[in-house]
Amino acid sequence: MQYALLIYQDEAVAGLEPGSAALTAIVGRHMAFSGELGPKRIGGSGLKTTQSATTVRTQGGARSVHDGPFAETREQLGGFYLIEAADLDEAIAIAGNVPLAGNGAIEIRPLLGPG
Amino acid sequence: MTQTALDTAARAAGGRVIAALAARYRDLDLAEDAFAEACLRAARTWPERGEPRDAAAWLYRVADRAALDMLRRRNTRNRIKPDAPEPVPSAEDIMSDDELRIPDERLRLIFVCCHPALSRDARVALTLRMVCALTTEEIAQAFLVSATTMAQRIVRAKSKIAEARIPFEIPGRDAWPARLDSVLSTLEVAYASAHADAAGAGHNAGFATEILELTRVLVELLPDQDEALALAALVRYAEARRPARLDDTGAMAPLSEQDPAQWNRPLIDQAEDYLRRAADLGPSGPRTLQAAIHSAWCARRTVMDPLPWRIVLSLYDALLMLRDDPIVRLNRAVALAEIDGPEAALSDVDALDGALLADFPPYHAVRADLLARLGRRAEARAAYDAVMSLPAPPAEQLWLERKRSALAV
Repeated sequence: MQYALLIYQDEAVAGLEPGSAALTAIVGRHMAFSGELGPKRIGGSGLKTTQSATTVRTQGGARSVHDGPFAETREQLGGFYLIEAADLDEAIAIAGNVPLAGNGAIEIRPLLGPG
Repeated sequence: MTQTALDTAARAAGGRVIAALAARYRDLDLAEDAFAEACLRAARTWPERGEPRDAAAWLYRVADRAALDMLRRRNTRNRIKPDAPEPVPSAEDIMSDDELRIPDERLRLIFVCCHPALSRDARVALTLRMVCALTTEEIAQAFLVSATTMAQRIVRAKSKIAEARIPFEIPGRDAWPARLDSVLSTLEVAYASAHADAAGAGHNAGFATEILELTRVLVELLPDQDEALALAALVRYAEARRPARLDDTGAMAPLSEQDPAQWNRPLIDQAEDYLRRAADLGPSGPRTLQAAIHSAWCARRTVMDPLPWRIVLSLYDALLMLRDDPIVRLNRAVALAEIDGPEAALSDVDALDGALLADFPPYHAVRADLLARLGRRAEARAAYDAVMSLPAPPAEQLWLERKRSALAV
C-alpha cells in the first residue's frame, strides 16, 4: 500500500532561508532518512516556501489565478514523501521518524489506485 | 420460542462470531453481513429442524460459509489473503458440530476498533458495534445522538479502517503503551456510559455486562498488563454497587450513603483479585490507584463500618502525581472536605477552571454541597440551579431536587 507523508511546519519558525545553516542541517537529515527508507521511498521532495506559491482556483467553471497557498494556515506544507508500507501502523512508524526542524505535523494519506 | 432462542444466541455469540470472521477476512462489513445472513438462515431452518445443541457454533459455521460465498460473488481481485479456510462442512456437520470452537479474535478486533487513527467517539461506537454486537440504535441511545448520526459515524470509521488499511493485528509489544491505553480508555468511556444512569435500567445497563466480559478477555490475553487488570477491577467494583445506587424513593444514593450489604460481594471479590494482581506487577499506574480507591470503599461490609475518607484522600494525592486533571482534583476535594473541612475543600474547588467544568454536573454538585455546609445558602442554591440546568438521569435529578429543597428560604 502506498502512502503520502505530508510534512507541515511553520516555515517562518523553521527558518529555512536558502543557504542558511538550518537548511543545510535539515536537508542532511532528510538525505539520511531517505537512505534509511531505501526501497520503501517511492518519491518525494521538499517544497520552496509558500511565498513562491501560486493557486489556480476553479469556481463555477471559471478559473482564476491567485498569489499564495490555497489556504493561509499556521503551518504550511513544506515537503512530502511517497512511501510503500504494509499498513497504517508501518506508515505511522515511518512518519514518526520524518525529520522536522522543531514542531510540526506529518499527515498520512493513502494513495488512490490499485495499492 | 425459537425466535427467542435465536435472539439469545445471536446476542451471546454475535461479538465472538463477528470478531472471528472480521479477523479472518479483514473486512468488518463482510463479517457483519455474513453474521446477519447466518441469523436469517437460522430463522428459516431452526423452526423446522430444531435448534442445534450449540447455537453459537452453528451460527459461526454458517456465517463463515456465507462469508466465503459473498467473497466469491463479489468477484473482485482479492488483494488481501484470508487465513487458510477451513474445509467446507457438510449439512450433517452443520447440524451436529457442537465441538467446534470459535477462535476468540475479539482482542484483535478491539485493537482495530480502538486504533488511535480513529476519533475517540468512533472508537467507542465501533467497539460496541463490532465487539459487543450492540445495534446502532442501542449505541445511539446511549450516546444521545440520532440513529442516523451514529450509523454515519460507524460507516465513516469502517471506511477509514479499509481505506487507510488499519491492520487487523495485535500490535507489537513496543507499541503497547500507546495502543493499549487507547483500548483501555475506549472501554472506560463505554463503561461510563453504561453506568451513567443510576437507575441502571434500560439499554445502557445491558452493555455493562459486555464491558465486564471484554475486560475479562483482555486480561486473559494480556495477563501481565497492570492497567488492563486495574480496569477489569474498576468496572467490577462499580458494577458491584449497582444494586445500592438507588434509595427507596428512587433517588440516587451517593457512595457514602449506600448500604454495603446490598453490594454484589462475589463481584467485589473478583475485583479484589484483579487489583491484587495489578498491584503485584510493580509501581501503580493511574487505573490501579483508582481501583484502590474503589477497594477502600468496598472494604465496608455494613453501614456501621467507618467511611474510608483518610485512605481515599491519600490515594487521590498519589493519583494527582500521575494524572493531574481537574476531575481528579474535584474528587480529591470531596475527600478533603471530610478530613480538613468544607472550607479547605471549597478553596481547592474554586481554584479549578470553572469555565472548563461548566458542563460537568459533579463540579456544580460538589460546590453546592460545600457551600451549603458552610451556610452560604444562596450561593449553594445557585450552584444547584446550575447543575439542575444540565441534562441528568431522573434518579440524579430527584436527588438534586431534594438537596436543593433542603435549602429552601
